[in-house]
Amino acid sequence: MLSALIIIPFVSAAIIGLTPLSGKNPRNFAILTAAIILTINLFVCLQFDFQHQGIQFAQDVAWIEWIGLNYHVGIDGLSFPLILLNSLLTLIAILATSPTIQRPRLYYAMLFLLNAGAVGAFLAQDLLLFFLFYELEIVPLYFLIAIWGGTRRGYAAMKFLLYTALSGILVLASFLGLVWLTGETTFDYEILRSHTLPLASQLWLLAPLLIGVFIKIPIFPFHTWLPDAHVEASTPISVLLAGVLLKLGTYALLRFGVGLFLEGWVYLAPWLAVLAGISALYGASCAIAQRDMKKVVAYSSIAHMAYILLAATATTRLSMTAAVFQMVSHGLISAFLFLLVGMVYQKTGSRDVDYLRGLLNPERGLPVTGGLMILGVMASSGLPGMVGFISEFLVFRGSFPIFPIPTLMCLVGTGLTAVYFLLVINKVFFGRLTENLAQLPPVQWKEHAPAFVLLLLIVAFGIKPDWVTHWSEVQAIALLTGG
Amino acid sequence: MQLEYFLLLAAALFCIGIYGLITSRNAVRVLMSIELMLNAVNLNLVGFSNYLDPENIRGQVFTVFVITVAAAEAAVGLAIVLAIYRNRNTIDMEQFNLLKW
Amino acid sequence: MDFSSSVASQLHAGTILPEGIVIITLMTILVGDLIFGRSSSRWLPYVAMFGLFNSIVALFFQWNNPNAIAFLGSFSGDNLSIVFRGIVVLSAMVTIPMSIRYIQQSGTSLAEFIAIMLTATTGGMFLCGANELTMVFISLEMLSISSYLMTGYMKRDPRSNEAALKYLLIGAASSAIFLYGMSLLYGLSGGETNLNIIATKITAINGTQSLGLAISLVFIIAGIAFKISAVPFHQWTPDVYEGSPTPVVAFLSVGSKAAGFALAIRLLVTAFGSMTEQWHFIFTALAILSMVLGNVVALAQTSIKRMLAYSSIAQAGFVMIGLIAGTDNGYSSMIFYLFIYLFMNLGAFTCIILFSLRTGTDQISEYAGLYQKDPLLTLCLSICLLSLGGIPPMAGFFGKIYLFWAGWQAGLYGLVLLGLITSVISIYYYIRVVKMMVVKEPQEMSESVKNYPAINWKLAGMRPLQASLIFATVVTSLAGILSNPLFTLSANSVNSTPILRSAIITQEITQSTIQVSSVEDLIN
Repeated sequence: MLSALIIIPFVSAAIIGLTPLSGKNPRNFAILTAAIILTINLFVCLQFDFQHQGIQFAQDVAWIEWIGLNYHVGIDGLSFPLILLNSLLTLIAILATSPTIQRPRLYYAMLFLLNAGAVGAFLAQDLLLFFLFYELEIVPLYFLIAIWGGTRRGYAAMKFLLYTALSGILVLASFLGLVWLTGETTFDYEILRSHTLPLASQLWLLAPLLIGVFIKIPIFPFHTWLPDAHVEASTPISVLLAGVLLKLGTYALLRFGVGLFLEGWVYLAPWLAVLAGISALYGASCAIAQRDMKKVVAYSSIAHMAYILLAATATTRLSMTAAVFQMVSHGLISAFLFLLVGMVYQKTGSRDVDYLRGLLNPERGLPVTGGLMILGVMASSGLPGMVGFISEFLVFRGSFPIFPIPTLMCLVGTGLTAVYFLLVINKVFFGRLTENLAQLPPVQWKEHAPAFVLLLLIVAFGIKPDWVTHWSEVQAIALLTGG
Repeated sequence: MQLEYFLLLAAALFCIGIYGLITSRNAVRVLMSIELMLNAVNLNLVGFSNYLDPENIRGQVFTVFVITVAAAEAAVGLAIVLAIYRNRNTIDMEQFNLLKW
Repeated sequence: MDFSSSVASQLHAGTILPEGIVIITLMTILVGDLIFGRSSSRWLPYVAMFGLFNSIVALFFQWNNPNAIAFLGSFSGDNLSIVFRGIVVLSAMVTIPMSIRYIQQSGTSLAEFIAIMLTATTGGMFLCGANELTMVFISLEMLSISSYLMTGYMKRDPRSNEAALKYLLIGAASSAIFLYGMSLLYGLSGGETNLNIIATKITAINGTQSLGLAISLVFIIAGIAFKISAVPFHQWTPDVYEGSPTPVVAFLSVGSKAAGFALAIRLLVTAFGSMTEQWHFIFTALAILSMVLGNVVALAQTSIKRMLAYSSIAQAGFVMIGLIAGTDNGYSSMIFYLFIYLFMNLGAFTCIILFSLRTGTDQISEYAGLYQKDPLLTLCLSICLLSLGGIPPMAGFFGKIYLFWAGWQAGLYGLVLLGLITSVISIYYYIRVVKMMVVKEPQEMSESVKNYPAINWKLAGMRPLQASLIFATVVTSLAGILSNPLFTLSANSVNSTPILRSAIITQEITQSTIQVSSVEDLIN
């Protein structure tokens, strides 16, 4: 069943890419496939056993014996929420894509390859398999940015490619070292977890893994590729990048950093917590200085991803659950914000904070977009009643008793979130609508449908947070106890 | 006569060959320098074969092969030099600069 | 007579049956060309391919040959040599269909070209099994001289002439140096030419410390490094790749290089078994230089053939990791990688040939926007280049992982890390070409692509080209995912080869002591 989640996107990528579909067919086919994938996900969701510790629906087939690569896939409470998020956001990204996009066949094929890569990485229970999918996702995303991006897309895409490839190499080096030091001949996650290495060797292996993962998340000072990539990527790609692909980094952090090198992780945790605090403050202060709405969201993404690192450093049951929660919540909120910024850009042709004015004007502006944007900003800065509040509360509640100073730094970062987003909202949506922005094309409800779906989830999870938390509670303990 | 003298002579010849290889601008002279190097090898082989391996004389057999191959190499080399002379009207190594990075 | 029959029974001439088949094919081609003239070029290539195919079949039946040592020790038909001979024949067999159209379009004689190519193949095959100094030299020169001829095959093209001259002069000089090293080896072993006997004699007479032996080692490595184009013996590579006919480059980059690696394994492991540490040291230096210089200079290239030249230098650096590892996995990862390299590199060259046939240029910038005009070519070239860059799930990824894995197990951490980092650099220049083809907008299309001729597979010689293109691409994309049989083949060939067995056992003892001490270092 889980293999279908990998195979379907691959096959549909091949079908879309290689068969002569024309007109609207590629898009319709893509929507259909994405809907099927989401349905399968929901079906898996119904059968998921929340009390079960360890992986479920496992499938273990020897693939390439000579290097100990097994096709070992499975899900647990840590990965499945992210897989759901991935399927949902893929569908939303396809819906948010303009029906008249250039070279649709290549576009949708790449989108499905990306989806397959991300799902495969989340499913993989074998380190080498994880690495394989982790690398696989790079090339499609490169093309998605480089072909359908903005004016400096070539530069941004190449920067993304090189940074991420380097991150993959570092992760691989850490994996190779782990297998060598444990003396195993397999890359199987469970088997490698059963070994406990001395602290010194754990630190040696953790260091490259952390740097590799920090590039992906990204954590200051390895973040420089992200603002470029976000600004140049088109809206659906930004949604996927922020919503899913950055989560690969934090997922690897929890799964491999905490899961395999717990002792080393705890040893480094105080420093990492400080780094998380710095990253959060840095992201927030950079966001204040930006003039481009998309860059504001991108930097806020850096700040919010740092909370996950903070939660992971605390290594308590609560904070682990909070880390997963924050991943889901950030995935939803940042996707939501990127969709709205994309909508503003599509209608006005600009994302410049100094140029846009009074878009909330009910007659000639974009009132619905503006209203949604305000809700999104509220969610992002953690107002109660929405998912952002719960996740940030859990993160800070979990980490404050252990690392008070870094938590305070992150709290300041949260405060700054309200500052920079309100600055943006104030400039862009309030005030008088300037003449050159009058008579904007009206936004149809259909175009806003994806955003409404996300909003619904944001509010629903804000009111019923245990819908998310009960996925990962059991697994969070398992991760910390080595069970 | 000691073996060392042969080896020294061969080494000297070899060095002269390498010197010629590096300094010559004329393609035919480069080819001649390579022949010189091959002959140094032949001298080595014959010397060794005479002193160390007088029953089987493997070295002298080897020398015959080397001479044969050297002839083939020189033939191909001169053919290529001829072809390049027809096209470019020169065999000066410094003039061959169509290919460079 | 009694004497002759006893000698004949010791010769085991059947061991060189595959080479015999290639030679018979060569004769058929020459005679056929003489009898039927130009019209024969329609069927001669297929005769050649048929002959090469039979040769592969013959190789297959020689697997685990009990009488592996043939011609009184001059030629060894062990499984290692069978695998390498297989790589050489296979590369010739894939190259011939690529070359038909190219040679015909250039207006030169196809039959002669194929004849020279088969000579080179024979030389390469003999080199893979050569176990005696004279044999090594003769087969090496057979391969080299026919390569010079092929490089200069475009007689009226000054670039081809120049490439041939440079190749010949550097090649002949390096083989003279190689030969000088061999003559010293002959003397130091007290007049022996058989590699196995040399090895025992050398340890008996000189021990491991001898200046003469060191000089001979350095000279011999210089000759080998020239053949596998390792930095700093690589200067010929870019010039030859750029100037010579593309099918020749394809053959040189795979067949000739594989033969060079076979020679390296056999000569260094047997004859210099007592100096393992020294030659490992030299090869480590060569591998570092090759990986760094190859990958970095490739970034600056504007001609795709020249870029692939530097890429092939870098790839040789990666393969050397397996050689230096010196373990079971090390050698079998070399073989595995060379197999995969064969398909991905030949696939890439097929695409380049096709593009230059249609547009007449090799400039990377001229590939801009090719996606619009020729999706098949774009797809195939992209797959092959991404595979060369080691992007999963293409075959090259698995090959590289295996090499690095073997190197890592053998304790070559620095080398493996350098390999990993330089392969990130290599992704940049491979993807640059892919980007050129796929990403460019229709209005950014290059002149050549704008004037791209209608795709016509009906022209003479185009069908075989298309077949080899698709074959190489399919293998490149699937060989990694379904790599178990290929792996078993390369592992078996290493496991069942006597010369490697003895070498590996001694190696493993030292290795395990090193590993234990380094683990202890890490722990403390």
